[in-house]
Parts: sequence; structure tokens; C-alpha cells
Amino acid sequence: MVMKRPPEAGEILQGTLDMLILRTLVLGPAHGHTIAQAIEWTSENALEIEQGSLYPALHRLEDRGWVSSEWGVSANNRRAKFYRLTIKGRKELNDATGRWRRMTRAIGLILGESFE
Amino acid sequence: MSLRWFSNRTRKDQDFAEEIESHVAHEVDANTAHGLSPEEARRKAHLRFGNARTVREREWSDRSLPWFEDLKRDFSFALRALAKAPGFAIIAVVVIAVGIGVNTAVFSVIDAVLLKPLTYPNPEELVSLTNTSPEGSFPGASIPRFSLWRQQTSIFQQVAAYDFGGAGLNITGSDHPQQVEGVHVSADYFAMFGAPVVAGRTFTAAEDSPNGGHVTVLSYGLWKSRYGGNPNIVGSTIQLDGQPYLVVGVVGPKFVTDTPADLWVPFQFDLNSKDMVVFFTVAARLKNGVTIPQANAQLRLVADQFRRLYGDDSLPHGGGFGVASLQQELIGDTGSRLLVLWGAVAFVLLIACANVANLLLARAAARKREFATRAALGAGRGQIIRQLLVESLTLSLTGGLIGLGLGFAGVRLLLKMNSGDIPRIGEDGAGITLDLNILLFTLGISILTGLVFGMVPAISASRANLAAALNENGTHASIGVRSGKLRSVLVIAEMALTVVLVVGAALLVRTFMNLQAVDPGFAMHNVISMSMSVSGDRFQKTAPVAQVIQQGTDRLHAVPGIIDAGVSNCLPMAGGFGMSFDVVGRPKGNSPSTGGAGFCSISYGYFNSLKIPLLRGRSFTKEDDAAAPLVAVINQAMARQYWPNGDPLKERILIGAGAGPAFAEGSRQVIGIVGDTHDGGPNRDPSPMMYIPLAQMPDLETALNSRVAPLWWFVRSQVDPRTLTKTITTALREASDGLPVAHIRTMEEIEATNIARQRLNMMLLAIFGSAGLLMAAIGVYGVMSYSVQQRTQELGVRMALGAQASNLRNMVIRQGMTLTLIGVVVGAGGAFWLTHFLKSFLFGVKPLDPISFIATPLLLSFVALVSIWAPAIRATRVDPMTALRVE
Repeated sequence: MVMKRPPEAGEILQGTLDMLILRTLVLGPAHGHTIAQAIEWTSENALEIEQGSLYPALHRLEDRGWVSSEWGVSANNRRAKFYRLTIKGRKELNDATGRWRRMTRAIGLILGESFE
Repeated sequence: MSLRWFSNRTRKDQDFAEEIESHVAHEVDANTAHGLSPEEARRKAHLRFGNARTVREREWSDRSLPWFEDLKRDFSFALRALAKAPGFAIIAVVVIAVGIGVNTAVFSVIDAVLLKPLTYPNPEELVSLTNTSPEGSFPGASIPRFSLWRQQTSIFQQVAAYDFGGAGLNITGSDHPQQVEGVHVSADYFAMFGAPVVAGRTFTAAEDSPNGGHVTVLSYGLWKSRYGGNPNIVGSTIQLDGQPYLVVGVVGPKFVTDTPADLWVPFQFDLNSKDMVVFFTVAARLKNGVTIPQANAQLRLVADQFRRLYGDDSLPHGGGFGVASLQQELIGDTGSRLLVLWGAVAFVLLIACANVANLLLARAAARKREFATRAALGAGRGQIIRQLLVESLTLSLTGGLIGLGLGFAGVRLLLKMNSGDIPRIGEDGAGITLDLNILLFTLGISILTGLVFGMVPAISASRANLAAALNENGTHASIGVRSGKLRSVLVIAEMALTVVLVVGAALLVRTFMNLQAVDPGFAMHNVISMSMSVSGDRFQKTAPVAQVIQQGTDRLHAVPGIIDAGVSNCLPMAGGFGMSFDVVGRPKGNSPSTGGAGFCSISYGYFNSLKIPLLRGRSFTKEDDAAAPLVAVINQAMARQYWPNGDPLKERILIGAGAGPAFAEGSRQVIGIVGDTHDGGPNRDPSPMMYIPLAQMPDLETALNSRVAPLWWFVRSQVDPRTLTKTITTALREASDGLPVAHIRTMEEIEATNIARQRLNMMLLAIFGSAGLLMAAIGVYGVMSYSVQQRTQELGVRMALGAQASNLRNMVIRQGMTLTLIGVVVGAGGAFWLTHFLKSFLFGVKPLDPISFIATPLLLSFVALVSIWAPAIRATRVDPMTALRVE
């Protein structure tokens, strides 16, 4: 639902974007544009987000209480809505990261047999 | 789901819009920093963000309940669609309102009579004690029976006795004597029925024993109406039949007994009495956990005990005791009667459904292009069906709401005109109230109706071939063969259902006519009846009663315009008392007596007042008094049954032999034979009757009688007796030294209540049948009009090729009548099978009555022909040029 131009990434499993957002917010509060850029940059542009799609995900996280938001002023001196990781969100990030690691390891094990 | 939730949603959307703006602004900043021109930076930013509107919409719908949104949209669309076709909407709503209205009406009666439990607490525990015999069971008790029953504490919590109907009592001691329903009860009566006491108390066991003193408990109604709710009434004394009675309590307004009562007095039985006379009724409350079969098993043993105590003859051979649910007993056969009515109204509703489905199909045909367009724009089949179902539910719920009002007002109005002898509906149907049962029933039936008549057209419309529909010329879009067939099937079904209804109505109309045609055997015209309660110490012997009768009769004879006046202790058409008798000198064989017959004590003016003809011998005169030889008059039915060859006038009969000391008397000479009267109602054959002079009754029997039944006066006059009411009541009060009269009714009024249930049945089915007929006519008219309209072109071509107008007309008529005839045949088959359920409601007509079965199809075919005529004529008026130019 999220990825555009996904040749390498393939279909990212549901919830993955949530995890990436939460991960980005570990560094501190950020507004949507920063989050989008951060995900793109840190993944070396492999994951290019359709920026509009980021927001429903952010709002969903907020509904679940994993992030909180407030309007503030950005580095560009513009009004922007800043998202902050909550304690619940931090816990969810841990859980999600664990799930992801277990899954990629499992996938890696299967792929490893045929490629190595 | 609150409004706040929705407004919140709007606020969030605005917030999101700002957020998007901010995001784009940041992206523009970034792009400008990369050296792009402002325009290029802005363009790229928007490109990068994607479609902001889509994102917002998705978020909006993520925050909604999709089905609720859809339903809201479908509903407002349905309202708009229906508003565009007001004619259709109004007809459909009216048809549904009628269909649901009659259902609500009948259900509200069923609800009041069958579904609502008795107004007493834990009514399922209440049973009436009955005497069982191989012929069936009947209520009634004597003191020894009551005494033994109330000892069965292992199965009963309480056992209480009360009057069958009661003789009535007179409140005296003021200028306004009043005859009231005074019911004798045993002390446990109030506790057993859970009567709420609002003041004072009810009877103690001591007060309910012989010499317990004169005490009474008042009903709330009497307390309010006669004593103005006097708070000091308890402890004061009122006069009943000249005797002072201490008021010990008042019972609350919610205590409504099925024998209505104004006040209660204790029976004060001597429980050691061996008097076998059956003159009151007994009910009991079962112990917790005791079932009716368990109680019956116990009572079989009690019957054996009864025989041991009082001798083998004390119970008839094969007779015993048992219990029956009190509620069942009160309802009687009303249940099956109401269910038959319900069957009939279900038919009305089905016809209404078929009719509206038909209308919807026609409408769906006209809207075919609309559906096709919507399908082409991406509406799924499910969405179209849902849309159509919402439309039909909108119709059915509106119709249901109107039907609820219609049905409820209708049933009250109908029962006001004619209560139809239905138990437990209160005065003029006041017992029928709007309750949750009725509301839920109407809501349920409305939804069901909407789904039933909406489903067929919805599915059929959603199946339409897209391309074909869009390409078709709008003016004569047809919905295809399939739905044409569907509509024909619906019309056939309507016709068939109507045939069944109308045949049923015809049978009941004939029943009612037959009943009215029955000669009751006595005069109805210009005869008025009224009751006089001869209770109290004054009338415990025969002589004072006979004196009141003679003085009253003399006074009435002196009134100009009065032809004759007579008295009886039973009311014609209300049934009398049964009594055994022996023909003196005739061998009885194994049976205890020669036979049984109805038994009435009458005054010498009785036969003439009611114009009951004397067929042989002589009738009673003033001289047949206590001093004269004992005499009896019998009716023709009795003469036929017991003297098929002999001459009753030459024999003597001994009445009430073995019925107890109250009836002990000498044998009577049969002196005359009178005509039969239909005492069991016009639909029953006259039964054997014996009459004796009231003046010759044994004293003990008079005393018993004064507690069981009032005296009934019958006055025949040359003018309308209602104009004489005041004169008659005054004359009787003066003659009797102050006795009031009550229950003043003409015999015609009594007769009307006697056949009230048949009248109500007939009226209802006639209404249902007419409703069905009307709807079926609309149905066949609709289908044929539509068919003619669809075939305008074809008809034009035929005409252009030289077809005669009459040919075209006949073709349309032939098609319409084919549908009708199929429906009639199917319906007649259904009626053939269904009318046997009506059997017990019919009189003088068989369920397969040829007249009803021939007349109904003829009537229906005629109505159908009239309905088809207009479209048929329209077919002949098709202008070939216009028809062909359509292409």
C-alpha cells in the first residue's frame, strides 16, 4: 500500500512502514516531511515513499497511542506538526523489530541454502 | 456513535489539510535549495506528494463506519428516488399499510388474549378444579368436594371457592338502592389471586366460617363510585339487602377478576356439610414445582377417597377430579379462532407483498437504464441490490408505521362496535393496549415485508444485461422475459390467495345469514329483560319471592302499553341449569334416572311474555301456587326424546331425584308442551327443557337459587319497551319493597351478543376478502397495462398489417384472463384444502359449499375482466404511425 517503485523492496509487509516510522522517531520528534526524507536517506533511497501515504500511517500510529503529535515550528521556520514517540510506541518498536529480525532470519535461512 | 464523533472527524480532516500544506511547503523548500526554479520546485513537490485528495478521502473513510455511511447514502437516495415517483410511493405505502395494519390489529388482540398472562401474579400456577368424566371435564363444586380438595396441601398452596356468576346483591339503606355484582368467596381467594389490599384487610378464616358475621370487602371501583373514596370506609357499615355488613377492606384497582365484582362477601361454608349440590367454582394455586399431571394423579386418588367417604353414587361412573390451567380455561376456543383470523390476515399481507413486488418490478423496468448506468460506473451487483432493498425497506417501514396506527385505531373501533364475545379484552376492547410486543411485532413484520417484496425485483433488476439495457431505446425499455414471467406469477399468486380469502369470507357470510334466519323460538321484538337480585334473608323461602313476582306482575299489567310480564330464574339463550328427572313408573334400567334436561323455574306470565307457543295441554296460571298440586311443563324436544310414542300429558315426573336435599320434592304432573327455544345459541339444536312454577319451588331450592342467580324479568309491550324502562323499574321497585333492577337489555340486544362472534368473524373476513380483491384487481390491471405499453410497437405493426381493433382487444383480454383463470384454479384448490380449518366456525353450510366455490371464482373473474378492460381498450387505440415511428 505504501511503496512506489518497489523493484528491490518488493511488497513490504503490512506494518513495516509503521516500524520504520517508529524507528525514525527514536532520534527525536520530527514532522512528516523529515520522517519521509529520513526513511529515504537512511535506506540509501531504496525505499522511496509516496509521501502522501506517510500521513495515514502516522495518524494510525497516533490513534493507537504509539506516537503523539503537536504543532510546532520547523527548522525552515514553517508551521509543522511534530510527532513524538510515546512509551507505548517505544515498546511496540522493540516488539516489531524483534518480529522483523526473526522473519528476515527465517527468510535468510531459506534463501541462504540455495544461494551459498 | 455520537454527533461529536462526526464533527471531530471534520476537524481532523482540516488539520490534515494543513499538515499536507506544511509538508508540501517543506518539499518546495528542499527543492529550491537544490536550485530548482520556484515553479519547478512547486510542481515536483506536488508530484512527489501524490494525490492529496485521495489520501484525505482514504483517511476520511478510514475514520468512518463504511456500512453506516453507505446506508445513510442509500437511504437519502431512496427518499429522493421515491419523491420522484410520488404516485408509486403512495400506492405502495398504502398497500403495505393496509397489509400491516390488519396484521397489527389481529396481533394486538392475540397479544391481549393469548400472549399476555393473566393479571394475577404467577398465573401459570393457577388451575381450576374440574370434574372429569368420559365426556369431558367441567368446572363446578359442592361443599364436600371443596372440603376434600382444600385438604390436598401436598399439591396446592391455596384452594379457593367463588361464585360462577353470582346472583347479585342489593346495596340498600339509602334513597338509591343499587344492584351490584357481589361475589361470594372463601377466605383464601384474595391471597390465592394475589389481590392487592389498599385499605384494611381481607376475610379471616373465622369470618369465613358459619356464624362468622356480616363482613364485606369492596372493590376499588365501588369504593370510588359509591363511597367517593371515603378514607374511613374500613370499619364502617353498609346495608346489603337490608342487613348491616362491616367493611373490612378495599382491594386495589389493578385487581380485575374474570367474573367482574363490585364487592365480596364470604361463603361461610359449613365444611362438614354433606350437601352434594354443585353451585360454585373452585380454583387453586399449585405448589412450587408441582405440575398439572402430578396434580391430576393426586386428584385421581382424591376421587377414590371421595367415593369411600360419600358412597359410590356420589360420583358418576367413570367420573373423577382434575385440574386445568386457569388461563386455558378462560381463553377456551378463542385461541383457534384467533389463529384462523391470523391465517387470513397473513394472506392479506402476502397479497400486499405480491402487489408491491409487482409495482416494484414495473418500476425497476422503467429504471433499467438507471441501473445499467450505475453498473457501468462501477456499482457492484450487491450495491444495486442493497440500494433497492433500502428503497423497499423505506417503503415498508413507512407503511408499517402508518399500519400500526391504522391497525390499532381500527381494532379499537371495531371492538367498540362489536366486541365479538372475545374474552379478556376488557370493555370495548380497552384491554388492548399498545405494548412492546405489538411494537416489535409490527417492526419485525415491516422489515420482513420489505425484504420479501423487495428481494425479487432487486435481484431481477441487478441481473439486467448492461449493454443491452444501455443500447435500448429508453421509451420502451423492457426488463426482459424473465421479469415479465415473474410479474405474471405474482399476479397468479395474488389471484389464488384472494380466492382462498373470498371463499372463506363467503362461507362466514353464509354462516351468519343462516344463524340470523334461525327462529329462536321466542319473541325478540318489543321485549325487554332485566335482572332483580332476590338475595338476603328476606328471600330464603319461596312464598316471599312468589309474592314479589305476583305484585310486580300485577303492577306491570296496570301500565298502559305493556302486554305481559314474566319471570324466570334463567335467561333464554344463556343456557339454564341441567337437572336429572325420573318418569314415575318407568323402569330406569341401570341408570340412576330416566334422563336429564334443562330446568327453569318461571312465573305464569313467562310463556306469553316471550311468545313461546303452547302446543298441547295448558300453561301455568296464577293458581298454580304452593298450595296447588305440583305441575310441570316440558318443551317439544323433551317430549320427542323421552316420549317418542307415549303421551307425556298422562305422566308424572320426579325432578332432581338424588340431586340433594335442596331439590327434594314430590312428583309433578306434566300439564303442557311448549315450543322449543334455542337456548344454547342459534347454532345448537334445542335441548329438552322442563319448566316448573316459581311459586312451587321447594324453599331450600329458593334459598340456594337466591345465591346463584337473579330473577330475570321479561316485559313485552306494544311500544318500544325502552321508552317504558323508567316506568317498569319504578313499578318493580315499589312492588318489591325497594329492590333495584339491573342489566336492562332488549332481547334483540341479547341476541346480538349471542351471535356477536359470528358477526365479528364475518365482518373481519369480509374486510380482508375485499382488501384482497381490491389488491388483486390492481395487480392484474397493472400487469396488463404494462404489457400493453411494452407492446405498443408490436400492436402498431399488427394494426398496420390489418388486425382489427377487436382482435387486439380480445388478445389482451385473453392474456389477462389466462392469468386470472390459472390463479382462480390454484386458489380454488388451496381453498378446497384450507376451508376445512373453518369447519368449527360454520353453521348450516359445508366447508365445500358449492355456492361459495362457484360464486367466488365468478366474482373474481368478473373483477379481473373489469380491471383488464381498460388496458385492452387502450391496445385498440394504438396509433400505428406513432408506434412505428418510435424506432
